[in-house]
Amino acid sequence: MGVIFESVVMAIKAILQNKTRAFLTMLGIIIGILSVSLMGTAISGIDQVFESSIEGMGQDVLYVQKYPWFMVNDEWWEYRNRPEIKEEYAEQILERASSIAFATPSSSRSDEVKYKKNTVEGVEINGTTWQEAYISALKLESGRFFSEPESRYGSRVIVIGYDIKTALFPNEDPLGKEITIRGNKFRVIGVIAQQGKFLGLMSMDNIVIVPLKAFQMLYGRRRGISISVKPKDGIPVEQAKEELTFIMRGLRKLKPRDENDFAINQQEAFRQQFANIRFAIRAVGLGITALSLIVGGIGIMNIMFVSVRERTKEIGIRKALGAKKSIILFQFLSEAVIISLIGGIIGILLTVGLVGVVQRFFVANLSFGLVVISLLVSILTGVLSGIIPANQAARLNPIEAIRYE
Amino acid sequence: MALLALTNVTKVYQVGAVAVHALRGIDLMVEKNEYVSIMGPSGSGKSTLMNVIGCLDTPTSGTYILDGKTVHDDNIGQNGNGKLSEDELAFIRNQKIGFVFQTFNLLPRITALHNVELPLIYAGIHKKERIEMAKEALRKVNLEDRMHHQPNELSGGQRQRVAIARALVNNPSILLADEPTGNLDSVTSREIMKLMDKLHDEGNTIILVTHETEIAQHAHRIVHLLDGKIDRDETTPKGNS
Repeated sequence: MGVIFESVVMAIKAILQNKTRAFLTMLGIIIGILSVSLMGTAISGIDQVFESSIEGMGQDVLYVQKYPWFMVNDEWWEYRNRPEIKEEYAEQILERASSIAFATPSSSRSDEVKYKKNTVEGVEINGTTWQEAYISALKLESGRFFSEPESRYGSRVIVIGYDIKTALFPNEDPLGKEITIRGNKFRVIGVIAQQGKFLGLMSMDNIVIVPLKAFQMLYGRRRGISISVKPKDGIPVEQAKEELTFIMRGLRKLKPRDENDFAINQQEAFRQQFANIRFAIRAVGLGITALSLIVGGIGIMNIMFVSVRERTKEIGIRKALGAKKSIILFQFLSEAVIISLIGGIIGILLTVGLVGVVQRFFVANLSFGLVVISLLVSILTGVLSGIIPANQAARLNPIEAIRYE
Repeated sequence: MALLALTNVTKVYQVGAVAVHALRGIDLMVEKNEYVSIMGPSGSGKSTLMNVIGCLDTPTSGTYILDGKTVHDDNIGQNGNGKLSEDELAFIRNQKIGFVFQTFNLLPRITALHNVELPLIYAGIHKKERIEMAKEALRKVNLEDRMHHQPNELSGGQRQRVAIARALVNNPSILLADEPTGNLDSVTSREIMKLMDKLHDEGNTIILVTHETEIAQHAHRIVHLLDGKIDRDETTPKGNS
């Protein structure tokens, strides 16, 4: 035990005797560990943001649409000729299906909304039915969603997103006020609780929801329709999806050999697409990180070879005094590991600082696990890059080493 | 039983294609508390013999027994421990040999005390005990007041005394001094030799390698080497008294 402790002390002394050299060597590791921990932080941040973003989408909601959410470029031309999804499908689906609780047609477009002198442009105007409240599990900050009769008659009522509330009604309660879209007045009956940004970039609060009938009065009936479907409680999504597909094929009058001329989208598609992106980010990140760590490790190895050469005589003396191979090996190995570990610690501290800055713009958290992994990686780098020079030191012939000047 | 017994020891170095016979059959016995000088011109095998005795090197053939421990024996195979491993040799050096070198060979940038502690560190002795032992050794060479100085703050004679303290600190079976006064002026040399004589009087076994007759005369016995063989083995006036 004592010998090991002494070896570490000797290694630290050796490093302190060459502070500048040790620091320059550390730089490689600092950069390497910085990239490990930043990459890890970025990936876990992206994961977090993704999870919270798709949460609002409703995990078990199915969307019957003309186009699938993700397609290869040239596929679009095929899907383009598909017949449109019709509003009536929603009711027909509900009539025929046993596994489905809600089905609502909806449509959307971008437009500007006004209240007195305030205008917000690029607002996502959604037209849907009362069922939407149950399908997407919308949380309201105040007021209510529109009712079935309001839905049926196309009342001029509107539920607004958080961003719209803050932009149009900075100092007053929006409930009961009338806002204008395309010259038509809509009475605010509810405000959606803040949802945040999709992937941290696109606001999901920049929306308003009106009854579909009212929407169609504004923009006509020819706009593309998407049908949102929610299975009954306790029914697995996949089962509902199967029944939905069957019903849709019936509505479209498809023959058994025909391919589906509609798409049933679900959150899962996002998840899969995201998994691909995440895999790519990880692979690239790992590559860059590994590369910078290898460069850092080579730096340490190089300096350790120099150190062994410079201290050949010292090694000879130590051996003459009874130092065993393993002790010499350990002494030089701990020197490499200490350099690497200090580099790792500095790298982590820099990451903590940088994450603090990044946090203002993007979700970023440096997890404890990542800190531990970074430290282990820096120790491992030290061991791998120090083992060859340390072994060379341990194998020196004491007689030759002691004569070395 | 002799403290140190070499029987028909040879050492052959392979330098390229040429085999250099550094030792050609040495028979040497040294008793406990003997004071022996090894003399000889350069190339006579002095250094090689010292390396073999000091367990820094192993013989090519022959038998070497040190303090009852077989260091090398041709007749016993590897498994019978007739040939020790590097680590076993390191252990013997640590426990039984105290080296004093011509160039002192202190580690720079650490204090005299820490230099003396080194063999004890490798022997695994605890810090408190170790420091006491190191201080005691420095006291023996009259350098207690200089123990916190680094080698570059000490004179040549002081450095050699630190080296001697380091050699003594683990109570070795033999003190092995290779030209201990080679780098010192005559006044300091006498001082160091006085110290060696004193250490012998205190019961240490000393083997001194030198080419200076005057220095060699401090010993009680002089072994003359020539061409890898013992040429003469004589007792000095001091040995007769």
